[in-house]
Amino acid sequence: MVKDQNNTTVDQQEMQYKSGMTRRDSLKLMMALAASALLPAALTGCDNAPVSNTDAGIGAAKASTEHWPELKLSPITATGYGKDPNLILPPESPWPLTLTQAQLTLVAVLSDILVPREGSVPSASEVHVPAVVDEWVSAPYERQQQDRVIILSALAWIDDEAQMRFGKTFVALTKAQQKAIMDDIAFDTAETPAQFKRIAEAFSRFRGLVLAAFFCTPEGIKDIGYVGNVPIGGDYPGPTKEAYEHLDKVLADLGLTEYAYPVQA
Amino acid sequence: MKDFDFEVLVVGSGAGGSMAAYELTKAGHKVLMLEAGRDYDPKTETPMFKRNGEAPLMGAGNSDKDFGFYDATVDGGWSVPNEPYTAAENTEFLWWRARMLGGRTNHWGRYSLRFSEHDFKGKSRDGLGADWPFNYEDIAPWYDKTEALVGVCGTNTGLDDMPPSSDGVLQPPPKPRITELLIAAAAKKLGIPLAPMHRAVLTRPLDNRAACFYATPCGHGCSIGAAFQTTTSLIPMARATGNLQVITDAMVKSVDTDENGKVTGVSYVDKKTSTVHQLKAKVVILAASACESARLLLNSKSTRFPNGLANSSGQVGKNLMDSTGANIGTMVPALKGRPIYNEDGHTANHLFIPWWGHKAQERKELDFPRGYHFEIGARFGEPGAGLQGDFQGYGADLKRQVKHNYGAYVGFALRGEMVPNEHCYMDIDPEVKDKWDIPVARFHWKWSEHELKQIEHGLKTAKAIFAEMGAEVGELPTPEQAILKGGEIIHEVGTTRMGASPKDSVTNQWGQSWDCPNLFVMDGGVFASNPHKNCTLTIMTLAMRNSSWLSAQLKQGAI
Repeated sequence: MVKDQNNTTVDQQEMQYKSGMTRRDSLKLMMALAASALLPAALTGCDNAPVSNTDAGIGAAKASTEHWPELKLSPITATGYGKDPNLILPPESPWPLTLTQAQLTLVAVLSDILVPREGSVPSASEVHVPAVVDEWVSAPYERQQQDRVIILSALAWIDDEAQMRFGKTFVALTKAQQKAIMDDIAFDTAETPAQFKRIAEAFSRFRGLVLAAFFCTPEGIKDIGYVGNVPIGGDYPGPTKEAYEHLDKVLADLGLTEYAYPVQA
Repeated sequence: MKDFDFEVLVVGSGAGGSMAAYELTKAGHKVLMLEAGRDYDPKTETPMFKRNGEAPLMGAGNSDKDFGFYDATVDGGWSVPNEPYTAAENTEFLWWRARMLGGRTNHWGRYSLRFSEHDFKGKSRDGLGADWPFNYEDIAPWYDKTEALVGVCGTNTGLDDMPPSSDGVLQPPPKPRITELLIAAAAKKLGIPLAPMHRAVLTRPLDNRAACFYATPCGHGCSIGAAFQTTTSLIPMARATGNLQVITDAMVKSVDTDENGKVTGVSYVDKKTSTVHQLKAKVVILAASACESARLLLNSKSTRFPNGLANSSGQVGKNLMDSTGANIGTMVPALKGRPIYNEDGHTANHLFIPWWGHKAQERKELDFPRGYHFEIGARFGEPGAGLQGDFQGYGADLKRQVKHNYGAYVGFALRGEMVPNEHCYMDIDPEVKDKWDIPVARFHWKWSEHELKQIEHGLKTAKAIFAEMGAEVGELPTPEQAILKGGEIIHEVGTTRMGASPKDSVTNQWGQSWDCPNLFVMDGGVFASNPHKNCTLTIMTLAMRNSSWLSAQLKQGAI
């Protein structure tokens, strides 16, 4: 049994995301969490089916009315890396990390809902996205401190919601139950119901951070397709034939063909 | 420096100071250079090829590293530890400084556009601001020499805002990117041309510097010397003459004079020991940056110069100008899902939108007097802490959205000329001193209608170009909302302006102070106006020309 700072109890010590985890460990954890989540879902037989708020779980409350956790966060007092850090060997842990074990595990589960494994492309937690989120919200700078309030509030809201609807923390929910909550908060649009407006906005910030952290990794860079930052001998080759052909089509569609800038083939 | 008998003392190792040191040492003069920051070696300190993901916070900027973790700036940015500046009540001004050998040349954008005859004679044309005390023809050969020495890629476009370089001076520019080609077609439909940017980046090897290999952002610095910075070029070349010595961590406090008002040398604080030292010199050149040099002069008070040195005109600190700036951008639907290729190039604009409105201004069709240009931000960039796009949902579909949007964002950065006005200036804060007991600069700032009208025109023009590309930017902000803060473009100049008369200027056309013949200013402070075209190339060109003149004076015994 581990008591974390939020006084919630994490009773599955082996099912915790740890920052220093190897990818293999992280993968095992996510599989274990998925397996545990699958069990009740399998019982209800609706793991992959669309889930409405009323049938998602066991004695589930209906989708909640508006609520918001008013967190009292102790301020980050660490100093930054300063104005002359070593740029060749960047500091690995520039300031103390502040997420609790339970928060980190929740971040890992949410990150993998946002960025799941797809074939050979790893999931977010497999490439240590939760550690980047932890570094981000623990950083002693203004923008990160603003994000810390938003993201920690979102994490607390998600667990509160899970408790209200299903009587468990989000991590302990079935995949279907998790999906039910996600479907309510992961779309920040004009149609978002009033009671989810604030969490949808906060979750957007979390999603942006997770996506950035994922696509910054070597695996993410490969996945998005960025092919630069490699030395080229001789002149810059410019666009590919395929890229020029696409441009020609775009110019034609926009009625701009006659205004095309001359390029040397 | 007891064993080094120098003739000229240069304060500052950035664009102006290094060019002065290069020109003078090459002509056989012994030069001592003082730099307020630490020594810096791009060959060993530049984070070449480093990925954002390897840096804290994915490389994102913050108050320690304003332009991102890997930005080359050392001990600086919008704030310098222990060296504050202030702003008068109800005004705001941002002052970017670096405390390192090479100064801000280690991080600058390297855009290198010549000023034209039009730029040097704005007042003759519209009655505003001040003319420069020479004509374009006087400086054109020096632009050629500077461009050839620095290494500038680009082409002669024939456009009226881009005077040509002599044959063989410019290096070939890189090919345009797809995004730039789309913008070029859309703009051309509206009668607005795009042109190859001129940039101080080598596309052919020069001296000991390699040609660009089209990778790793120039703002990180450039260990191979392709992107120009004085620490890989002018400073080592000047040192190789055997005539240059450099003292780093030397913060100059005052320029000292004798009873006749002649400059005798400077006093500086050795930051490592916090001790003050005096140095004697035959000639002092200030190139500490426009506002740092003006601060130094205003702080160099004596009974003979109660308002500060070289300030009989009262113009020191006045006429402070920055470039205007505004950003506008959006996702361009037609670019979504386009074929991916390596779009790094030299990591900045291959094409840009030069000012096209001279004729319209002549015809009085525009309600603002001075021009602007657009720089373009649009390419398959390396992923970092921010992803462009309004993403929804989760899972595989979310990732598809990110990939579909990749490389489809187009941003325009407006850079325009402001007209100097009485509300924009710097003086010395009567109360605040820095760690070295030196009174700090205090800024005063207010944009005028000239700048706001220009921004308004720029926003409307950008919106029209986006519309031709099938993209909607939505409701435009007001110019007051859109215009960036004074100083934010880091083109601050004018605080020791040159002119034809000692009555209304601080130096003559050679950067020689009217009041003290052995005191020169060779940074952006001497600018009589601030054309929209990024100041560094002209700072270097003036420093070369004026150091050459100074050398001749020294050899003739005139100084």
